[in-house]
Amino acid sequence: MMRNGASKAIDNNPSDDICPVCKSNRYLNPSLQFLINPECYHKMCSTCVDRIFTSGPASCPVPYCGKTLRKKGFHKAFFGDLKVEREVDIRKRVGAVFNRRQDEFETLLDWNNYLEEVEGLIFDLVEGTKEEKLKAEERLKAYRESNMGDIEENRRAGLEQIEMEKQREKAEKEAVRQRRLAALREEEEEKLDVARSKRDVLERLANTDEDANKITQQAQKIILKKSSARRTLAESVESNGRARDSGLTIRGLKKKEAPIAEKPYDPFGGVDLTPSRYVLQEDYDNEWLSNAKSDTRHMAGGYSLQEYYARTLFEAFSGLGVFIEDEVAGRSLPAAPASIGTAAAAEASAAKVNIEYKMELDDVF
Amino acid sequence: MSEDERYRTSTQYRLWSYSPDSLLALRSTTNRIAAERVREAVRRLREARALSSADTSEVENGQSTSAIPEGEVDCLTVDEELKLVAFYCRQTIQLGDHLKVPTEVKATAIQYIKRFYITNSLMTYHPADILKTALFFATKTENHYFRLTKFADAIGKTKPEDVLASEFLLTQGLRFTFDVRHPFRALEGAVMELQALSKGDIPPFHGAGAVIEARPHNMERRVKNAHGKAREYLKSSALLTDAYFHFTPSQIMMAALMIADKELTEWYIKCKFSAAAGGLQQKVLATLEKCATMLKEVDTSSEPSTTERKELKALAKKLNKCRNPEKMDLVGLQRAKREGEESVDEKIVKKRKLEREQSAKEGEDLFGPAIKK
Repeated sequence: MMRNGASKAIDNNPSDDICPVCKSNRYLNPSLQFLINPECYHKMCSTCVDRIFTSGPASCPVPYCGKTLRKKGFHKAFFGDLKVEREVDIRKRVGAVFNRRQDEFETLLDWNNYLEEVEGLIFDLVEGTKEEKLKAEERLKAYRESNMGDIEENRRAGLEQIEMEKQREKAEKEAVRQRRLAALREEEEEKLDVARSKRDVLERLANTDEDANKITQQAQKIILKKSSARRTLAESVESNGRARDSGLTIRGLKKKEAPIAEKPYDPFGGVDLTPSRYVLQEDYDNEWLSNAKSDTRHMAGGYSLQEYYARTLFEAFSGLGVFIEDEVAGRSLPAAPASIGTAAAAEASAAKVNIEYKMELDDVF
Repeated sequence: MSEDERYRTSTQYRLWSYSPDSLLALRSTTNRIAAERVREAVRRLREARALSSADTSEVENGQSTSAIPEGEVDCLTVDEELKLVAFYCRQTIQLGDHLKVPTEVKATAIQYIKRFYITNSLMTYHPADILKTALFFATKTENHYFRLTKFADAIGKTKPEDVLASEFLLTQGLRFTFDVRHPFRALEGAVMELQALSKGDIPPFHGAGAVIEARPHNMERRVKNAHGKAREYLKSSALLTDAYFHFTPSQIMMAALMIADKELTEWYIKCKFSAAAGGLQQKVLATLEKCATMLKEVDTSSEPSTTERKELKALAKKLNKCRNPEKMDLVGLQRAKREGEESVDEKIVKKRKLEREQSAKEGEDLFGPAIKK
């Protein structure tokens, strides 16, 4: 793709040098500039545009074109190839209407289908015959009219995103600048420190009669300590700044819908286990348990008396109303499902006779 | 899901609950098949002996056949088998007492033995072997850890292999269900609630206000007495009868309470089942009555009387004569089985090695090895 072909392709294409309307030549007029109008993409020099369209809309001077053009619509071509220019314009126009985003679609397939449809429309507009173009235009118009609200919303969302991007970039740049400044300041301070301590050392050497080596060593230590302290300080400041920054950029990045409140998890899947023959009490008197109740050694391991109560009482009444003689009698008959409690029991009872005889014949040894 | 429905999901209900008739039918089938097999095995053994002794001298022949009973084998009947099983169940309790294991372990072991001998005959597998394994299993299922070597030592004249020999056999006989529901914990629950009721701590159960007014006198003491008595019944009679096959743990527990204090228990049942509810109350009471008679029937004294002892001795002798000779040495069978499996493994390993060598040889061939189909 050739960009700014007006200046680059001077030598290769002679048609770039001669205005097709007034035939003036770049050789005679070096400031020759070609303009186009996206109505018909016929190019002409700026003098021609001024001459023909200053007094109001007029038809295109190119033979057999005859489209009504306005001066306002003329601009410099961005691409040297006008076909490309036209396609890009069309894409921009369609893109402004079909501006759905991927997260609006439920599946990737839907998104891809949508993209393909849009691409087909663009192809019709760019390369299609007259009829196809008309049809595509109509579709575009219909879509725009029916989805006005969505389009507007997406446009705004897109703008917002761009805005956000800009802000982030700006913030990053600012942070970099701050860091650089801080580093500079630190360097300055360090230099000052070193100078001051050197002066101190000299003064002490002059005023006291301690060992010279000792004094210098001490001074060295102090400098090191100070610089390391400064470093940690700087780091903490920096990390604070980063945390604040990230808070800024994250906020509002994603507009999430309020999550639907989940129901509490039911491990039994809706099975009701409330006893029907007794009411479980909080506490029972039991001489065997009185020790356990007061003894921390029993309770420390998580032993729950409530569990014990629930289990003993459940066992006391579990099966009290099960009359085996009546229920088992119908077992070998497959056509007596009423007497069988569960699906598993039905299965087991159906296979029962076989199991028994097989066991009789099957030996381990 | 009601309490009853939850009980119906247990293996004890699904696999190990029978009506008296079906239980008897099952036992007689087992007995018949086992007897046929014993006769078959004895016949085979005799033929083998006859073959092997054909080339040895006549004198030896006469000696070797003496180990096998002559003539038609006299097999145990179902009743005789049951008596012997009951005897060995008592033996299990004694062994359990000797090993100082909790009641639950003994109870579970007895149920294992009873369950095992529904589909297996004493003539095939001797209860003295099965008993040890059952007790050992019970220590595991009831969460009472007992080291195997210590267990074998404590029994005396037993090696760990003896205990483990019938391990899988018993597991298969139990249809891989180890869960036994006992009435012991149920009794604690019922007694706890009765005590609370006697003190008036618990509000009357819904729809039973009138009944609760008519509660027995002196209830607190009576509950205590009934608790002890019922526990005794559960520890002995309930285990030695077939109650576990015909009644649910809750019913067995209530029946034991009923023997201990009839008035109290009937009142309690009436509290729980209102008289209006479709005769359920009557049915429960009738079932408990039936269970109670069953529990009362059995003699709980640990030492059998002299006549019984004589009878048992005779039965034991008879059993020794009609045991299946092919299944006597469980330890040996177990070892043979294991070694058999190992030798098969070795064969496979050898075969694979040969194949590998062959393919390596063929790999050096000019056109590579043959294409595998």
